[in-house]
Amino acid sequence: MTNVPIEAIANRTPQPLPGAPDNWKRFFTFSTDHKVIGIQYLVTSFTFFLVGGFFAMIIRGELVTPEADLVDRTIYNAMFTMHGTVMLFLWMFPSLVGLANYLVPLMIGARDMAFPRLNAIAFWMVPVAAILLMASFFAPGGPSQSGWWAYPPVSLQNPTGKLLNGQFLWLLAVAISGVSSIMGAVNFVTTIAKMRAPGMTLFRMPIYVWTVLSAQIIQLYGLPALTAGAVMLLMDLTFGTSFFDPAKGGNPVLYQHFFWFYSHPAVYVIILPIFGIFSEIFPVFARKPLFGYKIVAISSMTITFVSGIVWVHHMFASGTPPWMRIFFMFTTVFVAVPTGVKVFAWVATLWGGKLRLTTPMLFALGALIMFVFAGITGIMLATVPIDIHVNNTYFVVGHFHYVLFGTATMGMFAAIYHWFPKMTGRMYNEGLGQLHFWLTFVGTNLNFLPMHPLGLMGMPRRVASYDPEFAFWNVLASIGGFLLGMATLPFILNMVGSWVQGKKAPDNPWRAIGLEWMVSSPPPVENFEEIPVVVAEPYGYGKNEPLVAGDRAADLVTEPS
Amino acid sequence: MKIRTILTLVVLAIANAAISWWVGQQAYHWLPPQASAESKLVDELFSFLVTLGSFIFLCVTGAVLYTVAVHRVGRYDTSDGPPIEGNIPLEIVWTAIPIALVIWIAVYSQQIYEKMAVHGPMELVHLHNPIGIEAAYAAPMEAMSPPEEIEVHSRQWVWEFRYPGQDVTSTELHLPVDRRVKLALQTEDVIHGFYIPAFRLKQDIIPNKVIDFEFTPIREGKYRLRDSQYSGTYFAAMQTDVVVQSEADYQTWLAQAAKQTPVTAYNRAAAEYTRASEKRINAGWKTVPPAPAPIVNYAAEEGRA
Amino acid sequence: MESSLDQAPAIAHAHAHAAEHTHDEAGNALFGFIVFLLSESVIFLSFFVSYFLYKITTSDWYPDGVTGLATREPLINTIVLVSSSFVIFIAERFLHKRNLWGFRVFWLLTMAMGAYFLLGQAKEWSELPFGFTSGLFGGTFYLLTGFHGLHVLTGILLQGLMLIRSFIPGNYDKGTVGVEETSLFWHFVDVIWIVLFILLYVWQ
Repeated sequence: MTNVPIEAIANRTPQPLPGAPDNWKRFFTFSTDHKVIGIQYLVTSFTFFLVGGFFAMIIRGELVTPEADLVDRTIYNAMFTMHGTVMLFLWMFPSLVGLANYLVPLMIGARDMAFPRLNAIAFWMVPVAAILLMASFFAPGGPSQSGWWAYPPVSLQNPTGKLLNGQFLWLLAVAISGVSSIMGAVNFVTTIAKMRAPGMTLFRMPIYVWTVLSAQIIQLYGLPALTAGAVMLLMDLTFGTSFFDPAKGGNPVLYQHFFWFYSHPAVYVIILPIFGIFSEIFPVFARKPLFGYKIVAISSMTITFVSGIVWVHHMFASGTPPWMRIFFMFTTVFVAVPTGVKVFAWVATLWGGKLRLTTPMLFALGALIMFVFAGITGIMLATVPIDIHVNNTYFVVGHFHYVLFGTATMGMFAAIYHWFPKMTGRMYNEGLGQLHFWLTFVGTNLNFLPMHPLGLMGMPRRVASYDPEFAFWNVLASIGGFLLGMATLPFILNMVGSWVQGKKAPDNPWRAIGLEWMVSSPPPVENFEEIPVVVAEPYGYGKNEPLVAGDRAADLVTEPS
Repeated sequence: MKIRTILTLVVLAIANAAISWWVGQQAYHWLPPQASAESKLVDELFSFLVTLGSFIFLCVTGAVLYTVAVHRVGRYDTSDGPPIEGNIPLEIVWTAIPIALVIWIAVYSQQIYEKMAVHGPMELVHLHNPIGIEAAYAAPMEAMSPPEEIEVHSRQWVWEFRYPGQDVTSTELHLPVDRRVKLALQTEDVIHGFYIPAFRLKQDIIPNKVIDFEFTPIREGKYRLRDSQYSGTYFAAMQTDVVVQSEADYQTWLAQAAKQTPVTAYNRAAAEYTRASEKRINAGWKTVPPAPAPIVNYAAEEGRA
Repeated sequence: MESSLDQAPAIAHAHAHAAEHTHDEAGNALFGFIVFLLSESVIFLSFFVSYFLYKITTSDWYPDGVTGLATREPLINTIVLVSSSFVIFIAERFLHKRNLWGFRVFWLLTMAMGAYFLLGQAKEWSELPFGFTSGLFGGTFYLLTGFHGLHVLTGILLQGLMLIRSFIPGNYDKGTVGVEETSLFWHFVDVIWIVLFILLYVWQ
């Protein structure tokens, strides 16, 4: 297969694969086109974003009043468990994998992922996991009510005594989602390592590709540990072994180690590609090269490795010996260094640029500011004395919602708007986009900022009822929560409306530099008629140099004056 | 131009420092009353981090907002900005500054932690026992009396306290002020978290272990004890009062409690569970039944009426 | 702002290079498989760590009436399994020289040795006086040996598949990556077993 005639490539027309439908129906097939799979991921995960958001509305509704009066306590507990599980395993991870699926082959100049069929299998495991998780609502005893950490012994308590219970289905769903993620990670790492276009050296890859690589390496070393812990928990729950069951001599804290060994780095799996999105969007709309490209790339990889030795900061109050507390405090605060370097690099990229505040730029800027805030509360949480006070309180909930909503979800929105013209061939509606941004920005702060004072005052997380002293901030947070719920409406309207009848998008509506902007919108099947030869670094704004050999890239990015 | 820029930056930095210092002082008001010796140390660290955090936050957001306000592109301007790709000395500086900052934060936090000398559980593996410790409680107090030892029993969803000296049981935690207290934390079922926000102290209670936990209350009053590690259905209801009183009041209370015959105390989880099971229609899913309401010498006031 | 697609090819030799670059499917498959094995090894590592921690922290490690594990038969098993790694290497050498029958004979021998190992383990399991739920020792013992045994079984099935495919004419025209992967997997399973044997049987 090494000597494919040039004619064979040149004759490829932008047609779907033989036998595959070319209309909307292709999104419901076992397509192996990375772009179809990317959109499948994005749409599926957004559906579950709405489901998880619905659960959040019930949680915020319950917390409007101090008493547990809206829903039964068991239902409340199921709601926060499922909210966390759905938002992480069915929204954040799949949506990021979807975006990476769409963009990585285009950005590195490949026709597809390294293993297209594995890619499709990995995607179709997500709906399977989702159906299992949703089916657990109909299991005896309802869905899992042990929180998304599923800490034993609470997760091993099975009041119905049935073999098929919510916790069992939960573990199964998480395991399937984990296998899917590992398949995806193998695929991404291989694709990025082996499928780059000629001339695309490591230090010519866009930062987004760097961050996807960093994130997927974390999946490869972290997820197996969670899988091991989940298997042992499943054995305890189903066969009565004693790994984590203290009543039989097991050690429940060991589970916490397994869980956090993956689930803390998992936050970097989410946030690293978001950093990549920032690094793509800021140069485009500031019309300046990314400041300090190499150090930004290297700092992503640094985070990959440092994040593997920070997990115990989730367990400072779990009966951890002092030496461990101190060691993990030092490693955790160190994460702030590569992260801070990136923040400075973005600010320097913006500084003195020619800023254009389009919807993706607004979302990226908003997300950047909220990330700085989240980083500062993160440093506070890393220090042992303060963590002992605010651990497991709403301070933590506020902190990680600034990360996961304020930064990651807002960053996802930025990415969706930014690449919407490329994916669909249509322009989105700018007015609706700006409305979406402002509602989201205000809603996020109104929802999650009050959680910080609540945590400092000592309100534990996961409570269905609370002391009346906490009522004021909770009401504010709930108003913010409902506002966020409303904020998705203009987004849905915009996406559906624009996809159906938006203005036709040109190939490169943002005059951006990058291989994905050099093909048509939407790109043809197999992306490139001829694999481009990359001759420059990725962010040549203002430099008037071509990105690929024999191309008028410079003409594309700078208007003749 | 240079001098003017430097002057502007200096003025901005001073203004930012002043604002940050003010915010750092406000931080004390965001926290509950300081009812233990440890809380003062924690708050000091928190105020420091809020000051530092505010400074950084204002720097970054200030720069972003300034550039967003000033460096906007003209409507028909399609030219690019200056192609500045980096600045090695600047990048070295802004890598070095965070490194210095985080080391400062971590070392300071470690010092505070050692002063607190919170006795966590002695883990199964005694790998390392850190450092000569200058404890938060004043030395004379320690000389005055040995720490008061109290057993804390937790179960789904009950807090029960036992004073072994007087053989008193209670559902309200009474503590003498200005005296070192040594709690023996234990659980009968799942992991619970022992958390008194006013003391800034928290410790998970691990099954099959007795965890020694020491601190010094320094302010009389009534505070809340909450379960901080999610423990199942009635987790949120697993709260009770902590009463810190003078040594004399504390002894009086102990003596009176010792004379009382044990009564069944109110327990919110058990009461709600009974009420729910009396209803014809169950609005929720099946739950682990709560432990029966405890029988104690002294029952907390909550729910008595 | 038009697409660059319609542009004439500029550098012909680069295109040939590009075609080669993106169609190295065998290389991708081998690379991806190694990445997968590295990831998989973390699961085993997690189980090893659990075993280690449980063993050093549990006071009554063995269930009542158990004093330890017999090592004679497992040692024979170990020798058979570890030697099969050399046998599979010889099989691969034969394939490399396009000696298909030599390949098949030694490949089948590897399968037989793997099957012997599995049978030996099944026999050991059936004779043990403790079960999966007999405390932490029983749990970790069966978890480790069971999970490893599952990998041995997978390896044998993969080998079977490769053996059948060796009879398809022209099977190796596209390269031998399937055989290489199976063989790599087999070495991996062997190395895991050596660690496992030391943990479970030597360290008693």
